[in-house]
Amino acid sequence: MKVKIFNKNSYWYFTWQRFKKSKFGLFGLSLVLVISVMAMFAPLLAFYGPYDNYALIHGPGIEAPPSAGHPFGTDRFGYDVYSRIFYGARTALTVGVITATLASIIGITIGGLAGYLGGQKDEGLMRFTDSFMLIPAFVVILLLVRIFSLLTSSTFLGDIPYLNMWVIIIVLGVFDWPPIARVARSQFLRIKDSEFVEAAKCLGSSTWRILAYNILSNALPAIVVLSALEVGSAVLSEAMISFLGFGDPKVVSWGQMLTFAATDMKTAPWVAIAPGAFIFLTILGFNVLADALSDAVNPRLKE
Amino acid sequence: MYILHIPRINESEKPRFFGLGLPGARMDPIIRYVIRRILFMIPVFLGVTVLVFYMISAIGDPVQIMLAQVPNISQQQIEMVRNYFGMNLPVSTRYLTWLWGVMHLDFGVSIFKVQPVASLLTIYGIQTLKLQFASIAISLVISIFLAIASTAYQYTKKDAVIMGSALLSRSIPAFWLGLILILIFSYWLGIFPSHGAVSIEENLYGNQILDELWHMVLPTLMLTSYNLPTFTLLLRSSMMDVSREEFILASRASGLTKRTVIYKHTLRNAIIPLVAYVMYTFGIMIASSPVTETVFTWPGVGVLFVQAITNLDYPVIMGVIVLLVVTVLFASLIGDILYAIIDPRIKLQ
Repeated sequence: MKVKIFNKNSYWYFTWQRFKKSKFGLFGLSLVLVISVMAMFAPLLAFYGPYDNYALIHGPGIEAPPSAGHPFGTDRFGYDVYSRIFYGARTALTVGVITATLASIIGITIGGLAGYLGGQKDEGLMRFTDSFMLIPAFVVILLLVRIFSLLTSSTFLGDIPYLNMWVIIIVLGVFDWPPIARVARSQFLRIKDSEFVEAAKCLGSSTWRILAYNILSNALPAIVVLSALEVGSAVLSEAMISFLGFGDPKVVSWGQMLTFAATDMKTAPWVAIAPGAFIFLTILGFNVLADALSDAVNPRLKE
Repeated sequence: MYILHIPRINESEKPRFFGLGLPGARMDPIIRYVIRRILFMIPVFLGVTVLVFYMISAIGDPVQIMLAQVPNISQQQIEMVRNYFGMNLPVSTRYLTWLWGVMHLDFGVSIFKVQPVASLLTIYGIQTLKLQFASIAISLVISIFLAIASTAYQYTKKDAVIMGSALLSRSIPAFWLGLILILIFSYWLGIFPSHGAVSIEENLYGNQILDELWHMVLPTLMLTSYNLPTFTLLLRSSMMDVSREEFILASRASGLTKRTVIYKHTLRNAIIPLVAYVMYTFGIMIASSPVTETVFTWPGVGVLFVQAITNLDYPVIMGVIVLLVVTVLFASLIGDILYAIIDPRIKLQ
């Protein structure tokens, strides 16, 4: 049986055809796929659980250098660094993808409304977006993450699993939408006066139908590029927040692994290398993917 | 015949303010813009500080949290300390007291460090500024050369190498790079110090300035690893845009050398976005400092802020937020003014 993935006439099929030609793009895509597979099948690929200090009792002990049983060595608690990398990939991708989705939803809503409504509402919404961009987000995010985790820990919200991670995701998403809103606005502005939108109006489509089916679906390619970049930047932000010690203590995160590695630099440098290298590969993957995607979705720019 | 020239003012352009001319309507446009921006800063400043102040006080009493760790403390002593920090007053009163203090450059006293916040901010702020300024200056100079090389050798191997390494180094998480730098240059080679801004015991060759510069090398390198590729990519793409313009073609056609065209025409026109971005980088310098400074235990505002939010030291948090808002707003203001000076086509409103 032949499985039909793409409609041969669809825009995305042509995009894929163009994307396939770029070696860099395929490299980025494969990096992203590798990290995703690592995250999805973490329990199968990892040798030990994330909180399994087997090495401490039966193995080479804490802060052991890399060996066959522990390819990236063990850390100060006797955890296997190699295994924790896989669980860290889960956290990184969860935070990255959900944050990017959230930022895209907010960005498309605000930017799309601004572009579609136009006039004074557009002006107002874009002023709001610009002033949001001016906020030095990182310091505010640190402060908010700390305050919210303290505020919620004693209430009923404290029972939600991985609450701190969700707080980080929401705060990052709420602060990272302005670039997406700008692109969404310019796309909506460009498409709303095009002839097929006129045609849809003449056929009596409702405004919402036009917004969703006609405008959004055509604006999406340009927005997807920024969303891919946003995944990378969210992964980095989460790593930095965890590195500074404000992450979720209950999840394994590459940034958090680096915190301990930084203090044990002299005795166990190998603990610091692997988590950072994987943060680098994830960000590189998404950046390269976004770069190639922007060439693929917008072939005119390349000429 | 002598005709008195009377300038005609379009009725709609005439500024009116309840029948009077808007204050400053006849001022120099740049000065008027500066004054307007500073007036605009006031509501932003008030909004941000009120929000942060109320959020911090929603968590609870920082003094009580701190004193809970002190053994054998009587209720009376707790009350005394709380009175000293004004904790038994309502939040609005505390905010107004704090605001009144800020107007007199008195940011209160740090609960944990028991030092005036104003002096803490000065001491730590200078260290942050030192690092960021060094990194931005170095990145700016090198990025101009790299972008020129990249534009001059467009679509050749040199261009590809510059672009590729810029894209690659932008994806490296800077704080991890910092750790690797410490590992290589401090622990293995022992060339540069791994932490701090000055030596505790003896300065390098007994020279204070040399010692400070020596400590700055690795942190500056770490910051530059992000700034340099970002500046280069921005300037290159802007130079590419300008080099497609007709006046560049015209100046080439008129017989100017490629070199003259790139230096005198392309670069001058392309540098405007970079100026804006550099000012933006200056503006967010406090926001980008916590991670760098934590890696190198650098005594800057970033480390101060991280300590303050860990300990809920609210006078320091508020002080850093004020410094942050002021830096961002002034940097964007200066950026806008530079923009208008460099490019006379841009009008300030």
